[in-house]
Amino acid sequence: ARGGAKGGAKVTVEPHRHEGIFVAHGKEDYLLTKNLVPGESVYGEKRIAIEGADGTKVEYRVWNPFRSKVAAGVLGGVDNIHIAPGKKVLYLGGASGTTVSHVADIVGPEGLVYAVEFSHRSGRDLINMAKKRTNVIPIIEDARHPHKYRMLVGMVDVIFADVAQPDQSRIVGINAHHFLKNNGHVVISIKANCIDSTVDAATVFAGEIPKLQEQRIKPQEQLTLEPFERDHALVVGKYVRSK
Amino acid sequence: MVNYFLFESSSGYALFERLESEEIGSKLADVCAAATDLTKFGKVVKLKSFAPFKSAAHALENMNDVSEGIMNDHLKAFLEMNLPKPGKKSKVVLGVTEKSLAGSIKEGLGIECDASEIVLDLVRGVRLFGDKLLKQLKDGDLERAQLGLGHSYSRGKVKFNVHRSDNMII
Repeated sequence: ARGGAKGGAKVTVEPHRHEGIFVAHGKEDYLLTKNLVPGESVYGEKRIAIEGADGTKVEYRVWNPFRSKVAAGVLGGVDNIHIAPGKKVLYLGGASGTTVSHVADIVGPEGLVYAVEFSHRSGRDLINMAKKRTNVIPIIEDARHPHKYRMLVGMVDVIFADVAQPDQSRIVGINAHHFLKNNGHVVISIKANCIDSTVDAATVFAGEIPKLQEQRIKPQEQLTLEPFERDHALVVGKYVRSK
Repeated sequence: MVNYFLFESSSGYALFERLESEEIGSKLADVCAAATDLTKFGKVVKLKSFAPFKSAAHALENMNDVSEGIMNDHLKAFLEMNLPKPGKKSKVVLGVTEKSLAGSIKEGLGIECDASEIVLDLVRGVRLFGDKLLKQLKDGDLERAQLGLGHSYSRGKVKFNVHRSDNMII
């Protein structure tokens, strides 16, 4: 059967430095999130159930850094991911919802994830995932036009963007102007190739910084997602609308 | 100066009046700063009226129109009923976040509309303090409505996709 620690292997789980994220120590180490819907996988990922001191079981889902840029950033040692229990997240480029489901696990029942995805094909999977996770609000719409979904979104603590568009800094900016709290944060995954494939990745990343500043986003941290992704960077910034 | 503004929420339409305040000027930076502090913000805006949607289907119909910049009959009736008639002394300038809806309202009702940055900051304030300003609503009401409307809007988008590229028969 799927899930669970296999072959009697001894697995221990402990909290990660980032609240809401966990690490399993066993034969191999895994990054985990606490399953908001115990008993079910979202995209075929493994599950691990651990018996607590009081005998109750807690189920976690394995979070693969090769499939999720947020997980890659966490393993890469990002200082602050800003996604934590109780937080409200606007997630741009939700795709089929695999990473969104882990983000939903992290923010938990007190948090909320507004997941925007324009592709209808992935959008169907996203909607289906959101049926089970009621802290996910699916939005099938173009992230370039936040005014189209303004009735669906409240103020958020953080915007995560993985839109792979040449003008993604601008896309994040206009969404921030509508929905991001003053002094809220943005976490952006930048794929160098999607912005400019004629220059090297480092030049592309450096070029995005002034574009973010133009949108009142103050870059605070940048890391590449090696070895999980090639020519990708994660940029974390703070949105300062009013001093 | 913008003296009224429209807030389109998942639960219904809200019309706010913008009050004059000595403490908080009309400058953009002042409004922007006030919109992060409920006590200050409460001094510059006052809820004039809130019209909840009658049903989930009604909410969806309105969201479809709002996202396309269309003023439908329901929104028209709501504004007509709650905005004062512009006279010689009382000028009405309605703030609307988005330009095309502002254009439709101006055309349909003959009211002067403003879709500038200051309106965005006023609306940001309402978005932040939503259920405290919309007194009819309880904590979490807006989020519950967002969840239902998000699903129905998104399902509609996926279903009515004329460029449907999946379900290929090989």
